[in-house]
This record gives sequence, structure tokens and C-alpha cells, in this order.
Amino acid sequence: MRRPPGEPRHVAYVYLLPGLVLFGAFVVAPLVHAAWISLFAWDGITPGEWVGLDNYEAIVSDAELRRAFVHSGVLLVFYVAIPVVIGLALAGAASRSRVRGLAALRTILFLPQVIALVVVAVTWRLIYQPTGWLGDFDLALPAVGLIGTWVAYGLCFVLFMAGVQKVPSSLYDAARVDGAGAVREFLAVTLPALRGEIAVAVTLTTIAALRNFDLVYLTTSGGPGGATTVPAFEVYQRAFRGGEVGAAAAVGVCVAAVIFVLTLTVNRVADRAART
Amino acid sequence: MIDRREQVLAHLMLGVFAVIALAPIVRILGMSLSDPGNFSVAWDQGHFGTYMRSSVLVTSAVVVAAGLLSILAGYAFGMMRFRGEQVLFYLFLVGLMVPLEATIVPLYYDLRDLGLTDTYWALILPQAGVSVAFGTFWMRAFFRSVPRSLVEAARLDGSSSWSTLWRVVLPLGRPAVLTMVVLIFMWTWNEFLLALVMVSDEALRTAPLGLAFFQGRNTTDEALLAAGAVIVATPVVIVYVFLQRHFIRGMLSGATKG
Amino acid sequence: MGDVAFRGAVKRFGTVEAVRDLTLEVADGELMVLVGPSGSGKTTALRMLAGLEAVDAGEVAVAGRVVNDVSPRDRDVAMVFQDYALYPQMTVRDNLAFGLRRRRLAREEILRRVNATAETLGLGALLDRRPRELSGGQQQRVALGRALARRPRVLLMDEPLSNLDAALRVQARAEIKRLQQDVGTTTIYVTHDQLEALTLGDRVAVMNEGTLEQVGTPEQLYDEPVNVFVGGFIGSPAMSILPWAGGGLLLGVRPEHVRPWEEGLLGPLDGRVAYVEALGRETLVGVDTDAGARLVTVLPGRARLAVGEPLRLGLVPAGVRRFSPDGAAEDARFPEHRVGGPG
Repeated sequence: MRRPPGEPRHVAYVYLLPGLVLFGAFVVAPLVHAAWISLFAWDGITPGEWVGLDNYEAIVSDAELRRAFVHSGVLLVFYVAIPVVIGLALAGAASRSRVRGLAALRTILFLPQVIALVVVAVTWRLIYQPTGWLGDFDLALPAVGLIGTWVAYGLCFVLFMAGVQKVPSSLYDAARVDGAGAVREFLAVTLPALRGEIAVAVTLTTIAALRNFDLVYLTTSGGPGGATTVPAFEVYQRAFRGGEVGAAAAVGVCVAAVIFVLTLTVNRVADRAART
Repeated sequence: MIDRREQVLAHLMLGVFAVIALAPIVRILGMSLSDPGNFSVAWDQGHFGTYMRSSVLVTSAVVVAAGLLSILAGYAFGMMRFRGEQVLFYLFLVGLMVPLEATIVPLYYDLRDLGLTDTYWALILPQAGVSVAFGTFWMRAFFRSVPRSLVEAARLDGSSSWSTLWRVVLPLGRPAVLTMVVLIFMWTWNEFLLALVMVSDEALRTAPLGLAFFQGRNTTDEALLAAGAVIVATPVVIVYVFLQRHFIRGMLSGATKG
Repeated sequence: MGDVAFRGAVKRFGTVEAVRDLTLEVADGELMVLVGPSGSGKTTALRMLAGLEAVDAGEVAVAGRVVNDVSPRDRDVAMVFQDYALYPQMTVRDNLAFGLRRRRLAREEILRRVNATAETLGLGALLDRRPRELSGGQQQRVALGRALARRPRVLLMDEPLSNLDAALRVQARAEIKRLQQDVGTTTIYVTHDQLEALTLGDRVAVMNEGTLEQVGTPEQLYDEPVNVFVGGFIGSPAMSILPWAGGGLLLGVRPEHVRPWEEGLLGPLDGRVAYVEALGRETLVGVDTDAGARLVTVLPGRARLAVGEPLRLGLVPAGVRRFSPDGAAEDARFPEHRVGGPG
């Protein structure tokens, strides 16, 4: 199709260039470079040795690495499932009754999201001190998980509330006239309407769960005895403490891949569900 | 019309979870205030003054650079048609999902080879790069919402793409730009891993990194530690309290950066 | 000198031809109205002239110069948009001055033109207001002012009155006509309202599905529509079309030329009243003829007729227009003395 005269065309590249260069140099290029490094066994000082996909294989075979990913899976319950459920319950309750001070409630519930995770870690470490859970081999991971729950449920609530407010009140009125109780109304009206928001919530919280370096480093340092190690922590540990840079890069690439796949899957599922 | 019991239950649920959300924050605030002198101790002897200055510097640089470049790139994506638009857009989209954990390793070694580790550049450049991905996405959405007739009127009036951007279109986007600025500010201020890896010189430590080291050094004086934590968290919380609408709106629009 | 010419201009969107082979000339200083239903291509043609749409084939020329590849800013053309497209964050004064500043006119000149334009359009008191503080009519005048301040060779107007309420529209229409005559700028005006077209235009071009059906003075279009479409589109109520001579012919006749039967008229045509619209000064009566066609007649004052009542009508021969079955007009007027019926 012919472009009208005077419509900017080539000048677009000029506008795009600076941002593209910065983005390319500090996000895209490092990612590619990480993939390259992951194919080597390297200590960061002496020249590396080509090992092909051995580092990736190690993620499955090495017990410690495997455990890190398993822990991530467990944390998904705390970081994703529980906050989403809490968020749905709160949004459901707020949608049914007229709640006074909703704006203030939103501000308060969302607050944990804006506080630096370092501060969150410091705060919760002080809270956990008298209990000793962070030092307990079996309780450390759930303890860390609960922190994640605390950080995330406000985000889910705010997200779902925004979605609820888009639902025409006539739907709720109709349900009420039909004699629907709170639970029935929630399942029939609220939940289907929130499909999109649930997808976003799951995506955001899952990414947070998979990244999760700050909290682990500052509360337990992956301990006790590796009970709370997570992939992000392994990346740091192996690259900067253990001299296994190639292995660290592989873990990092894996984390990126999982995030990518998960984001796409959640959105694909949500799209298909919305179309039915 | 709604059962009174239900109303009470709803308020109760919301109230309980609000209290839970607030309690740890109130606690740490209370601990720090138990001896207000702790704040100046943390600031001077604790070096939090230095850490905060570093954070301000890095965060300002990232916000300005990423903000500006995002406006330009978003303008191109949102208002111009060009070859490769689709591909480049998907590239930005994918880049949005790439976690720092995946790129931190090569970033460190590459910047070390360039002699940039232990400088502010090592903190500013990578974060600017990541923020540009988000910012471009965000500004593109805004530019696409501007009525085409406005741009056409400007074109007929003889306005170049540059003057149309700054004089005609962007003035409409103050809320969008503010939201972008606020989110980039928060993410950059709160960033920890990057600082941990890139910076070893204490003079360059950003606030979150400073707090982490402070925790390591300070196992006994909890009130002092609390004061440090409050200092670090305060700027973002203050901005949040005044501009929460922008924070929430931005994050709700599916921003996928952690 | 601001004459305009389209020569075989074509615009395609994908496989659809929005403008087909448009050839039209507008004289310097003329107010030409492009009228037609939606999708007729009138706005697209206007935008091609403005430079907002590319020309796929043919030529568009302003003041004798082909401008197909000329950027809008260099065509010396100004436009009033349907939604006004005023710069929301600028004052009225800055809106008027924007185009002048872009062209780097001297500050005194800009000041002079802005004030002169504001005075002509009665915007003096509004100069420091923002568009959102103005009424629809005021915004429309600012849009017009912004275009005129530039003293363009050609002024383009894209349905500028469609967002105003009816009373305001009539008033604004008269003002635009007067203004155009005073200023004398060649103007191309697009509308879907045929009444607006007939009252405003020096000449009117009727478009339908991308094709120019007819161009002429309002009288020409009204009295001598070149096909059934133009006959049916121009004039309100529309021309009635009825088959004649066993389907070998179509007759087009306006309500004022349909009368109760008497000698000397064409007919007689028998039918029953389908509807009665009392307009106070006159009454419109729709009649379904026994032959099946719908005829509309206008009767003076208040006609006391009931739906279903039988009525016998005749056509004034001089007012009847003859069309071949494919809809195109036959040039000869219907001979006066022929009496006979639909056969």
C-alpha cells in the first residue's frame, strides 16, 4: 500500500535507535551471551572448556540443582496459588457487599508490593527470629514462602477488584434475583469474568516466584543446608562464589525459558477459555 | 438487601488481611522509632547517607535515560508505520520477560572486561536497558490511543514529527509518562542483585545493598537495623502514598517485569 | 489562484476501490460540495487532496501543480476535521497560531492574523480558553479559524457541522457560506446531508460507492438528475421512481409534480393512501399505486385523508424525468401531450 506523502517512515528508525541500542546491548546481547557461556565449563578467570549441553544435563542430574528447581515448584504454591485464592476471596467478598473505605483498603493491601524486597527480608527475619523457623531444615522453605504470600496477595486483590468493577452490575442483580448465594454467585459470575485478571496475576506472581533472589539471599542464604536454595540463588552462588560460571549461566537461561514458556501457556489458556 | 451477616464477614475478612499486610511494616517502623536518634546514627555511622545518595544518582539517571528513550521508541511504534515494526515489537515484548538472573552472569563479565564494574555505569546501563523495554511498551500503548485526526491536523499545519511529539501529542500523556516514571523509579530503587554483583566499593553501594551489608554487620542492635530499613524503604513508599493510582494502574496493565 | 483538479484519481484499500477514476475540476474561489451516502468515497477524495491518503492512480492537482507526492504541509491546503481535532492542551490563541508558528512567520504577523481571524469568527473573548471549556459551536469556529488563519489556497471541510444540533447547524451553515464568499478561498466541503449540499454549494458533486455520479449546480441536480440514484438522493422527500410502459422505462417524479388526477396530467394512476405526514404548511402523502409503485405527493395545507383511502393521481408532464431500465436518464423531457398509462 502506498504511503501518503509526509507520513514519517524512515525517520521512525531514528526515533527507535537509541532505545533499541540500549535494550539490545544490555538485555538481548547478554541473553545470547549467557546461552553461549552456558555451553562451557568456566571459572571466570582461566579460559573455559567446551562442554556442550552438559551444564543443562546437570540441572537434571545434579541433586543440588534439581532441588533448587523443586523448591521453586513448592514456592509456587506460596507465591502464586495462595495469594490468588486470597485475592479471589477478598475480591469476591468486596464485590458482593458495599465496602466502606475500599480505596484505603486497596492502598494498604498493595503496600507490600512497593517495598524493596531487601527491606521485606530484613523485616521478616526480625519477625521470624524468636521462632527459629528460618533455621529449621523443614520449616525454612515454607517460612520463606509465607513471606512471598504476604508480598503477593495484595497485588492479586487489587487486580481482581479492578476486574470485578468491570462486570456489569446487571449480571450480579440477575444472579441475586435467581436466589444465588455468595458462593454460587462467585462461581457463576465473578470467576468467569476474572479469567483475564487471573492470567495476569498468575503470570506476575509466577515470575516473582521463579526470580526470588533477594528474599532467599537475605533470610536464609539458601540454607540451612540448601533447604531453601532456589535457581536464582544457584546462579549467584555458582557464578560468583563457586567458580562455575558456565553452570550458572545455564541455570539462568533455564529460568528465562521457564518464565517464557509459562507466560505463553497461561496466556494461551486464558485466551482459549475466554473464547469459549 | 445483602445479608447483614455477609456484610460483616466481608468487612472482617478485608480488615484482617489489611492488618496482616500492615503489621510487619508497622512493627519495623515502631522498632526504628523506639530510639529516633537511630536514624542519624544509621545515616552517618551506618553510611546510609552515602548509600541513599548513590541510589538517588543511579535511579535518576535510569529514569531520565530510559524515560526519554522510551518516549521516542514508543512514539515510533505507536504512531509510525515502518518495515520490521512487527519483528522489533515482538523483540521488545520478549525482552520484557527476560529476568536479570539470566543476564547477570554475562553482564558482569562483559562489564568487568570493559572496566566498568564498580562504577555507576554498571548499575545504570543494564537497568536502563531493561526499563526501556517496559517503557517503550507502555508509551506505545499511550500513543496508539491518541486520535489520528489530531496528528493529521498537526501535519497539515506543517508540524514535523519531532514538534508533533513534543508540542501536540505528549502533553496529552502526562499521566502515562508519570506512571512510567514512577514504576521505573520503584524497580530501579529496589534493585538488589545487580548492585550486589557489580559493586564492591562501599562508596558506590546503593541503599538496598547497603542495608544488606548492614544486616550482616548488625546482629544485635535491631532498632538500628530497623532504622536503616525504614530509611531505604521510605522514598518509594512516600511516592506511592501520593501517586498510588499511577503505581496500581501501571502494574495492573500486565507489566511483566518483577 | 487555488483551483483544484482530480484527474482519474483512484484510491484502493486492499481490494476495495474507495475512489474510482475520479475526474473533477473545482474553479478558483468556488465552494464545491461533495455529497453522498457513507462509503461513497467523498471523505477519501478529500483526504487525497489534503495529502492524508496516497493516490494510487491518476493525479490530484492544486493551482495547476500535480501534488500526488507533495507533503501536506507544502500543498498550501488547510482542513477542518469532523471532530475538530483542536490541540487540547493549547489555548484557542495557540491553536490558531500553531500552524503559523510552524511556518516561522514573524511574531507580529502571527499576532495580526490571529487577532483578525478571531475577530472575523467572533472568538475574541475565547482566546485564552482551552478547547474543553468551549461549546461545540465555539470549537467548530476555532477549527475553522485555525484553517483560515493560514490563508490557504484551498480550504477543505470534512462534515464540520455533523456534530452540532439542528438549529445551530442551520445558523453555522449560513455563516460558512457568507464567510466563504467574503474570503473567496476555494473550498471543498464534504457532507452526507443533501440539503446542506444544495444550500451551500456553488456546485455539488454527488458520489456513490467511489464513483462520481453527477456534478452541477444545485438546480441542475434537482431538475435534471442524470440517473436514478441522483434523483433519489437529492431532494427531500426523494423523487419517486415508477416503472412505465411495461417496464421498458422508469419515470422519476418529485412530490410537487404529483397531483390529484385531472385532465392534462399523465395518468391516471390509482392507488391507496399508505401514510400521511402532516407538516403544518403542507402534507406529504405516500400512495401505493395499484401497479405496485410508491408515489409521494405533497398537498397544500392539511389534507384530510385516511390510510387505505383510494386516491387517483396524475403526473405533471413537465416535471417528469425519464430513465432507461438501467437507471440512466434519457435526455429528452417527457413530451407534454402524451397521455397513456403504465402499460
